[in-house]
Amino acid sequence: MERRGFLKSGLGALATLAVGETILLAPGDAAAAVAEPLNYATGADGKARKRHVDYRTATAVKSVCLNCSTVCGIEGFVEDGKVVKIRGNPLDPNLGSFMTCAKGQSGPTINTYPERLLYPLKRVGKRGEGLWKRITWDEAYDEIASRIRKSIAAGHPERVAIHQGRSRYEAEFARFLNAVGSPVLLNHRALCSANKRAANYVSLGETDWESIDAERCRYFLNFGANFYEAHQGGLHLVKRVIKARFDHGAKLVTFDVRMSNTAGRSDEWFQPHPGTEGAIALAMAHVILRENLHDRAFIEDFVQPGETQLRAWLKECTPAWAQAQSGVPAADIERIAIEFARARPAVAAFTNRGTGAHYNGFNNERAVVMLNALVGAVGRPGGYCYGLEEKLAPAKYPAPQPEPPKVTIRTDLEDPPEWPLANRWQKMKVAQVVYDYLEQGRAKLDVYLSYTIVSPMTWPEGRTTAARVLADETLIPFHACSDIVYSEMAHWADLILPDATYLERWGMDIRNNLELQHYVMLRQPMTAPPGEARSFPEVLFDVGRRLAPEQAKYFAFGTHEDFVRTQCSKLPVQGPDGRTFASGFDYMKHYGVHVDTSQPKAYEVYRRKLGAAQLEGTRVDAAGRILRMDKAGKERAVGMMVKGEPMRGFATPSRRFEILAPEVAEVATKAGMTDDGMPAFHHVPGLDKLADDRFVLTTFKWNVHTQGRTASQKYLSEIVHDNPMWMHPKVARRIGVKSGDMVELTTYRPRSGTQGDVAFKAAPAGRDEVVGRARIRVFVTDGIHPKVLAVSNSLGWQGGGRAAQGRAGARDAVLDASGQAATRKGLAPAPRVDDLTNGVWWDARNGGRGNGVNINAILPVNPAPLVGMQSWFDTVCSVRKV
Amino acid sequence: MTPEKTPHWGLAIDTERCIGCHACSVACKVENSVYLGMFRTKVYYHDFHGKNAAGKVAPKRAFLPALCMQCEDAPCLKACPTESISRGPDGIVRIDVDSCDRSRDCIAACPYGAIHIDPVAQVADKCDFCSHRLDAGMQPACVEACPADVFAFGDLNDPGSAVSRFNAKHRKELAVLKPQEGTRPAVHYRGIGTVVPRAVENKLPKGRNHDPFTYEIDTWAELRADYGTVVGNAAAKPKGGK
Repeated sequence: MERRGFLKSGLGALATLAVGETILLAPGDAAAAVAEPLNYATGADGKARKRHVDYRTATAVKSVCLNCSTVCGIEGFVEDGKVVKIRGNPLDPNLGSFMTCAKGQSGPTINTYPERLLYPLKRVGKRGEGLWKRITWDEAYDEIASRIRKSIAAGHPERVAIHQGRSRYEAEFARFLNAVGSPVLLNHRALCSANKRAANYVSLGETDWESIDAERCRYFLNFGANFYEAHQGGLHLVKRVIKARFDHGAKLVTFDVRMSNTAGRSDEWFQPHPGTEGAIALAMAHVILRENLHDRAFIEDFVQPGETQLRAWLKECTPAWAQAQSGVPAADIERIAIEFARARPAVAAFTNRGTGAHYNGFNNERAVVMLNALVGAVGRPGGYCYGLEEKLAPAKYPAPQPEPPKVTIRTDLEDPPEWPLANRWQKMKVAQVVYDYLEQGRAKLDVYLSYTIVSPMTWPEGRTTAARVLADETLIPFHACSDIVYSEMAHWADLILPDATYLERWGMDIRNNLELQHYVMLRQPMTAPPGEARSFPEVLFDVGRRLAPEQAKYFAFGTHEDFVRTQCSKLPVQGPDGRTFASGFDYMKHYGVHVDTSQPKAYEVYRRKLGAAQLEGTRVDAAGRILRMDKAGKERAVGMMVKGEPMRGFATPSRRFEILAPEVAEVATKAGMTDDGMPAFHHVPGLDKLADDRFVLTTFKWNVHTQGRTASQKYLSEIVHDNPMWMHPKVARRIGVKSGDMVELTTYRPRSGTQGDVAFKAAPAGRDEVVGRARIRVFVTDGIHPKVLAVSNSLGWQGGGRAAQGRAGARDAVLDASGQAATRKGLAPAPRVDDLTNGVWWDARNGGRGNGVNINAILPVNPAPLVGMQSWFDTVCSVRKV
Repeated sequence: MTPEKTPHWGLAIDTERCIGCHACSVACKVENSVYLGMFRTKVYYHDFHGKNAAGKVAPKRAFLPALCMQCEDAPCLKACPTESISRGPDGIVRIDVDSCDRSRDCIAACPYGAIHIDPVAQVADKCDFCSHRLDAGMQPACVEACPADVFAFGDLNDPGSAVSRFNAKHRKELAVLKPQEGTRPAVHYRGIGTVVPRAVENKLPKGRNHDPFTYEIDTWAELRADYGTVVGNAAAKPKGGK
């Protein structure tokens, strides 16, 4: 059997090729093709046989998964240049084992998408017509660079924007945009978790994401998180929660309008009326204080306001009141509060999007986080902990010099003034308004570079507002899209830049560590990208070198590998097992992970005493805050006196855990809103008085999917490809439908609230304004609140390959039938063994359920007040049988 | 290898810990190039009502990972007309792909849906505890991938192995699926009848491979196995035919 064969004219029989080897198109065209998706070899008898990975000879490479934002450290196995297997990297302290989730296992299949983009494509014809010609990278670079040079020369660098979905490339994009002089890095954070992050920042000061000390925790009070399936860090959390529950008897209580896997496996599950979790949390706080189950000393020493003020503020927030707001029985609210508090301090009350993606989400989440402070679980073993160094600080991870200066100009796109807390602690921004703002002329763009993002799928009004603006050459004169497959985003571009997958690229990465020590990871290519696919940071650095000398000088360092090598330069050279390396970079390439064990675990960091050096030049104010003058001559609080001892406290303005946040009150007042700085409960406008024929639409994520990048992965879409609407049996009976029937869903624009806030594109007073309609199949279940209808996101793709489109057939035939014939020139030859040809059993044309509905398309752009979090789960809707 | 040094591989599954994440089944697909629509292993979901921790009847969800049971009295082995199936001293039931002639009698005989005809190699295909990984000193792909310690695997001859320790600790709670089929399945489960209602075993098909349609959400509450779906060129032949 020949080890390498040349392809003769026409695809030969499988028998002529050995498995996994790159098909050489012609002599010299070495890296043209994508590796075979499946592993088969031909025996001596000419028959195909499955070939298994030989782990004794495969190359093992450490890296970091990026199929979701949990970014687990992984190890990949490579044979003949193909990534054949992924497992977890046990050195990742969040993992501690070889575990992954389903998405992590699916990673290698991304590299071998038959529909994978390999060559740069340039639009011919009108934008959106889907007509393309293949160009060289040289031509692509020339066009991008010349346009950017023009914007800079015209004195408008801010007309150059990068829009990222999930990049993990803060340092690299900062290098590029700072060199260009543009502040316009657009993102998706406000679609994700802006309220949750703001709630943590306001309460704790220095972190946006808690690190629950879960294995030691004995009571999990979960408001709206689905960490069994999703949730940033969900896999790390669930591994430990399982141990806590089944090895140590911990209890898990979940509040969710829908029976997620988390809810369905919880010890108790309650269904609050949407957007009322804040009321429940306030009532629990009321009970905890009433029963004197709080940590009096902690509140006295570390919380503001004090106990007396808290009792007064919570006086009316009785369980009966909370039952009236939420529908959850008062007796249960009371009982759970007492159970939770009695199990202290190894307890944790936490949230995610179910509680946060609402008009009142910021306060909902603050009220839940507050429960940890009341029982003294903050920073305690088994409690609501948080780490200190969870970003790639330049001091530790230096970027190559020279570095461009930070940009000081701003635009309304990345800094919308209407949401004054969006960028207060970190630049979370308000992603969902950018297309409206472009349409309104709030900012102008010349160059729009999109990366790892498909906004027609993942944005509210994605197929209307976002698509309309993407299509408009007066609003977006030039769009270059870096992507792996022909997505809807690529469809609206002028240049398509074939990207490397996350298994084929460089980058440092970092997350909060549930083991409470700083750690960092290296993502390194396990194999080279096929064809001419090129990792986007490499593209940016190449483009940077084609700008004028004043910009190009910032890219003299070389490649992305060189950039990362410098970032690793301060890391140790000796590993935990005693091995030594020539550099920090070599250390990271070997282990994939570095954990800084030189610092103690971040328990109770607020109690750390300030030493003499830290106290030098400080003074203590009347409130007990320790203040120091900074270099700019401004006094900053660096600690607080606690019973005569100088301690670190929290990184808030008061140095206390802030239930009362005067800054929020100030900011709100300036914005014309009423807010006393406490996490008061206010109903989502309109949700408390829903007519019988009105419901609240909620969306959700699956364990096998993320919002925008997994539908193309065949083993994941095989498991979930359809997203029928979850409907309660009472509702189904009333409108006369059963599971499998079709309904028409109509969504309506939001209303303004009562606190001086104004809804974005608010419905006119007294009238309903329709956002959109969709036909969806029904799934009748009592696993959904009777006033809620639930449709998952992630599905309903146009483009993206046969798995995402739910279409069986030969690759090229399906591309032709999907209006993507012109993209074929950007692809490799179809693989010899292509299970997507007849394996897409869910194809609706063959009696399958199809590929679902893009529900985001009919959800209104709806940023919540102050922080700008997208209020995904506030959408009022109606349904009728069709 | 002397007989006492040959491992006797065993597996136990703790359904209480299972989070239904599908890491095991996707790991298997990638590890073993399992065709779309066909399965060596599959995780079943079941929505039902049961008592919650407060003693109230409430909606709940359970997950059941299903794979080849490596039966001690394997019906596939007995049914195969070319004697292509054998059970080794290591406890693993294996198919000899060189002598398999695709009669499908093994598929018809299996009560657990564990076997399919691989469309590419055109031979019967099923879980072999990732023997190629065992040879390299590694665990089966499903066991390695699981985030929740659901799979207790290892050498039953070694009292210190994960499966031995699990079996010792949970001896009274262990059960097998479909014991009435009499195949003496070697894979044991904890939580059948408690975490996972016993009737969920009826979701595993007899006579055909796992039906992919059982991924559809409106089947989760049901307790049947077959929705009559057909995948690619793996159409089931008429019963009793070859």
